[in-house]
Amino acid sequence: MRSFADMNPAAVTVHLLLTACITIFCMEPLLLGISLLCAVTFYLVKNGGANRGFHLFALGVPALFALLNPLWNQHGTTVLFVLNDRAVTAEALCYGAVTGIRLAAVLYWFRIFSELTDSEKLFYLFRFLSPRIAMVLSMAIRNLTLYREQMKKIRQSQKALGLYREAHLIDDIRGGVRIFSVLLTWALENGIITANSMTARGYGTGRRSSYTTFRWHMRDAVLLGVSLVLAAVCIRSAAAGAMHWEFYPVCDAPPHGLLWFAGVGAYLLLSLLPLIYEGKEALTWHRLRSRI
Amino acid sequence: MIVLKSARLRSLLRTALPFLIMPAIILVTALGWRAEHYALVSFVMVLLALLLFLSGFEKREIGTRRMILVSVMTALSVVGRLLPLLKPITALTVLSAMYLGSEAGFLVGALSAVLSNFVMGQGPWTPFQMFAWGIIGFLAGLLAKPLRRSRLLLFCYGAVSGLTYSLLLDVWTVVWTYGEFTLREYAAAAMTALPYTVLYAISNLLFLMLFAKPVGDKLHRIEVKYGL
Repeated sequence: MRSFADMNPAAVTVHLLLTACITIFCMEPLLLGISLLCAVTFYLVKNGGANRGFHLFALGVPALFALLNPLWNQHGTTVLFVLNDRAVTAEALCYGAVTGIRLAAVLYWFRIFSELTDSEKLFYLFRFLSPRIAMVLSMAIRNLTLYREQMKKIRQSQKALGLYREAHLIDDIRGGVRIFSVLLTWALENGIITANSMTARGYGTGRRSSYTTFRWHMRDAVLLGVSLVLAAVCIRSAAAGAMHWEFYPVCDAPPHGLLWFAGVGAYLLLSLLPLIYEGKEALTWHRLRSRI
Repeated sequence: MIVLKSARLRSLLRTALPFLIMPAIILVTALGWRAEHYALVSFVMVLLALLLFLSGFEKREIGTRRMILVSVMTALSVVGRLLPLLKPITALTVLSAMYLGSEAGFLVGALSAVLSNFVMGQGPWTPFQMFAWGIIGFLAGLLAKPLRRSRLLLFCYGAVSGLTYSLLLDVWTVVWTYGEFTLREYAAAAMTALPYTVLYAISNLLFLMLFAKPVGDKLHRIEVKYGL
C-alpha cells in the first residue's frame, strides 16, 4: 500500500510548505482550526499517540502564549476583569487563542514534514538548489555515523591507556576535549584522503551524470498541480482581505461572501489532500484484497 | 531535473536577487501590505538570501579538498556535543571560517544547522538558524586575520556572536508567534529567553577556549601541509 510519504519529495514539500505558509498568512479562525485539525489527524494517523513529548510541546507552548497574551496586551475594548491594575480584554483573549492555534498548526505541519522527509529525500531536495551542496551534505550525514563509531574506539583506547577518567566534571571535559582532538586529526586526514581519491577518479573535471531514486509519476504531477491551484485560490481570497479578521479594538469578521467560501473551501481540500490520498490508497488496498 | 544546473540561470539569479527581487519584496511590503505578512515575508527573504549564497557557492571553484573539509567540519560540529545542552556549532564554525575561508565558514554554519536539526527536529526556524550561523561564519572568515592574531578578540567574537545569534532567533520567535514585529513584544521575548542567551554566550566562549588551540593548530597544519 502506498502512502503519502512515497510520493515524489518535491511535490510533497511544495504541498506541505504551501499548507503551512497559508496558515501563517491568514487570520481566519475557521481556516486555522481546519489547519490544526487536519495536521493533528494526519500526524495521529501516521504515528499514533506515540510521541507524547511532541504533542505536549506543540499544544502546550501555544496554549501558554494564548493565556499570556491578554496579560501583556492591553488593546481591545471589552474588559473582562482587572488584574494588578491591568485590564484583561476579551479581544486580547481571542487574539491569543487564534495565534496559539496558528502556532500549533504550523508546528504540526513542520513536524509532519520532518517525519516524511528522511536524509535521502533532503539530499534530493537540495539537488534542486545545488548538486555540490547536496554532495557536501550527504557526505556530512555519512560522516556523522562514521565519527560516532571512531569516537567510541578512541574512548576505549584512551581508557585502556589510563588517560580517561570520569571522576569529576573537569576531568570529564578534559577527556572529552582530548578525544575530540584525536578524532579531529583523524577526520581531517581521512577527509584529505577521500578528496584525493575523488580527484584521482576525475571528480569535478566534467559534467556529472546522476542517479535519482525518486521519479516523477502522474500522481506526483497531479498532487503538485492540485496543490498549486488550491493554494492560488486561497492566496487570491486572502489577498482580497476576504479571510482577515480584525481583533482590535473589537473582534470583526469579514463578510462571508463568495471569496470567503472559495478560500476556506480550497484550504479545506488542500489540508485534507494527504488524508484523502491515504484513504484512497487504503480503499483500493481493501477492495483488491477482497477480490482475490 | 536540477533547476539550477544551467550556469546562465544561476548567474541571472545572482544578479536579480539582491538588486531586483529582494528590494521589490521589501518595497511592496512596506507600501501596501498589512503587518500580518511579516512572518511570510521574512521567511521568504531568508530563503532567498540562502539561495543567493548557495548559488554563489555552486559557481565558484572552491576545490574538492576544501569542499570535503567543509563536510568534515559540519559533521564534527554535530558530533562534538561534549556537554548536554551546549552546542559547539558556533565555535567550530568560527574556527573553520578562520582557516578555510569565509565561504567555507558560511557553509559549515548553515549546513550544521540542517544536520543538527535532524536530531533536534526541523521546523520553520531551520532557515533562520541556517542564516544566523552562516552569517556568523561568513563574518569570521572576513575577520580571519585579526582573529588569528589575537586570542582575546576571538573570544570576544565568540561571545558577541552567541548574543547576536540568540537575538536574531528572538526576532524569529516574535514574528512567528505574533505575526508582526513590535519592539515591546521583542523586548518581552528577549527577556524570557535571557537565561538561554547568557548560557549560549558562555557556552560559545567555553567551547572556543577549549577548542581554539587544538582545532586551530590542526586546521593550520592541514592548511600548510596541503597548501589550501
